[in-house]
Order: sequence, then structure tokens, then C-alpha cells
Amino acid sequence: MPHAGRRPAAIHAHRAPRTGARAKTESAANGSETYAFRLFVAGSEPNSTTARHNLTRLCEQYLPGRHRIDIVDVFESAALALKHHVLVTPTLIVLKPRLGVTLLGNLSETRQVLATLRLNGHGR
Amino acid sequence: MNTTKPPAQRRKTTTQEAEAVVHALRTHQVDAIVGERDVSFVRLKQVELELESSRDELRILATRLESQRESERAEVAREIHDELGQSLTSLQLGLAWLTYTVTLTPPVRAKLASMSALVRTTIRSVKQVAVRLRPGVLDELGLVKTLRSEAKAFTEHTGVQCRFETNLRNVACHRAGSLAVFRIVQAALTNVARHAQASSAVIGLMKRRNDLVVTVKDNGRGIAKTLVAKPGACGVIGMRERALTLDGTLALAGSRGKGTTLTVRIPLSRVLITRGATSAS
Repeated sequence: MPHAGRRPAAIHAHRAPRTGARAKTESAANGSETYAFRLFVAGSEPNSTTARHNLTRLCEQYLPGRHRIDIVDVFESAALALKHHVLVTPTLIVLKPRLGVTLLGNLSETRQVLATLRLNGHGR
Repeated sequence: MNTTKPPAQRRKTTTQEAEAVVHALRTHQVDAIVGERDVSFVRLKQVELELESSRDELRILATRLESQRESERAEVAREIHDELGQSLTSLQLGLAWLTYTVTLTPPVRAKLASMSALVRTTIRSVKQVAVRLRPGVLDELGLVKTLRSEAKAFTEHTGVQCRFETNLRNVACHRAGSLAVFRIVQAALTNVARHAQASSAVIGLMKRRNDLVVTVKDNGRGIAKTLVAKPGACGVIGMRERALTLDGTLALAGSRGKGTTLTVRIPLSRVLITRGATSAS
């Protein structure tokens, strides 16, 4: 079960894949590459907590042993958030592979999240 | 809000990014907005939703409790009327029997007469308590006649002249609706008797467009503004909850030395079964 918030999830991939990232994207889809995520949260606020739980669950289920999650609390590292152009929390940035996508929201829409991360064909 | 000093300037946000952020905000999935100068919480909508949900739960609970209390009141009223009333009547008959069948000395006769009077008064009090607990008259006579009777009883018990005004006649009411209105009026009159120091009061039951407007007005010292704002004052919570269960509103207004007016506005359909013909009071 997804760790859902009070409302239906909203997931947004709002950076179009860059041309240079295409080869990496293909590599991601073959199910071998390690994923590196950076999740920007606001302390232990409800949506941030939900996003954290959902991301951990998805990684354990779909990327066992090949994922890295870096949690950034914007209250402690606002500069890093600004550097990554984070406007709101929670925001998930996929550092590796370079899919060029950013996800906003609490990541409750599992299907959409998986599709955005090109993981929809690799579930256990 | 947590203030930070970011070192970098933010690049311009694209339309696509802005739309995504707006969508996330609209779907209440955002906790905080990261600004160049500070990070702001986005909790208003969530808190609002939680508060509304909590209010709804409380309202449901209050309705259930009220329904339970009404059942208990009915039970107690029945017990009082049947058991205590019967016993007191037997006692009164016994005293009468003694008075007329036994040769008594004048002091004993006087004592018996006094006891008999006391028993009669007690029987009357018991009946009043039973009626107050369970206004059977509400079922028999309907809301309009019950309120008229309540005004009369209030005058008799407290000495405060109480008048009843209405533009309704021969209306059929929902049991729950009429009971709620009756209880609100009862509570308001209790406040008049306890706190208002009034010499007169007026109960109003008026049909105004699609609403039933219930008012209890007195000419007493007037409720203090601090008390109006105080949620727990004078049983206002209970009255307001009763009004809310009928999708109604309650307002309490008063000015020093000019009395207090309680106004309850309830959609007609929540109280009346058929729209009553209007007439003078």
C-alpha cells in the first residue's frame, strides 16, 4: 500500500529529458543502473514524511540494492534547495540516471512515479 | 517560518514548472515554499480540512449524545411519573383516609392537613419535572402550542412576564426539529431566569422566507460582550450544537441595560413537515 496523504497524489515531471541524457535513459530502462535520488523535504511535515516513506518503499521494492537516497531538509539546507531550483517541498530530483525529471508531491501515485522513473516494467 | 540566507540567485521558473507547482499546491501535496529569503509553511488548507473534519466528527458525536440524552430523559420522566407519582398519590389517599376515618385530635388533624398539602405540592412538582424532562405536550400539541404553554409556565414559575409571538399556525413538525427548537428555547429561558434580571421576555417563532427564526428576547441587564465571545458561556455551545444539527445558526447579542436577544435561524424544511399557513399570533 502506498503511504498516501489526505488527497490524491500529484506527480509532475516538469523537466523534459535532455538529448544528452537519452543514452542514460535507455540504460536505466534495462534495469541494471543504480539510481540516486535527492529528496527535498520540509522537516517532518506530513507530505514530506509521506514522500520519504513512499520513496523508501518504492526503492526497496523496485530497486533493491541499487539505489541511493539523499534526504535534504530545506530548513537546514536552503542553499542547496535553491541551487537545485527547488520551489516547493517535497521535491524529488533524480540525480542518476540523468532522466531529467523532477517530481513534486508526496509520491503516492505509485504508477505515475514508476512510469516517470522508467521503472514500470521492472517490479518484483 | 524559518529564515535562511541563500547564497545563490534563483533562475527563472519555466511555465511548465510553475504549472506543476500550482498543481501540487492545489492538490495539497506541498508542505513548504522555498523562497530566496525564507521557507514558508503551506499548512493552511490542511489545517482547515483537519479542523472541518474534526468539527464534523464532533457534531456527529454531539447529535448522538443528544439523542441518547433524550432517550434517558424520557426514561427518567417515565420512571418519575409512574413510580414516584403513583407512590405519592397512594400517600395522599392514605392521608385522606386517616383524616376521615380516624378520630384525631385537632393538632394531629392540622398536621395531617399540612402533610396532605405538602404531598399535593410534591405531586405537582413531580409532574413538572417529568414534563420538563420529556415534553410530551410537544407530541400532543405541537411546537407552537408547546412554546405558548412554556411561556405561560415560565411566567408562573419565575414571575418574569413571558409572551409568545408567532406567525405560524397548524404546522406539523419533525420530531427532532421541534424538540431541538424547544430545548433551545428552554435553555434560553433558563438563562433569562438565572442571569438576565429581566422583568419581561418574548419568545418568537417566525417564518421568514425559507427559514424558521426563533428568538428569545429579554429586557434584562444585557449579556456582556466578553460572554458573547466566550464559547462555553451560558450553555451557548449546547444551543449552537442543536442549531447546527438542523443546519441552522445561532446568534447572541446584548447591550448593557438593554437586554439580550438570542436568534436561531433554521431552514424551514428541517423543522416543518408542511409549510404552515401564516396568521397573526
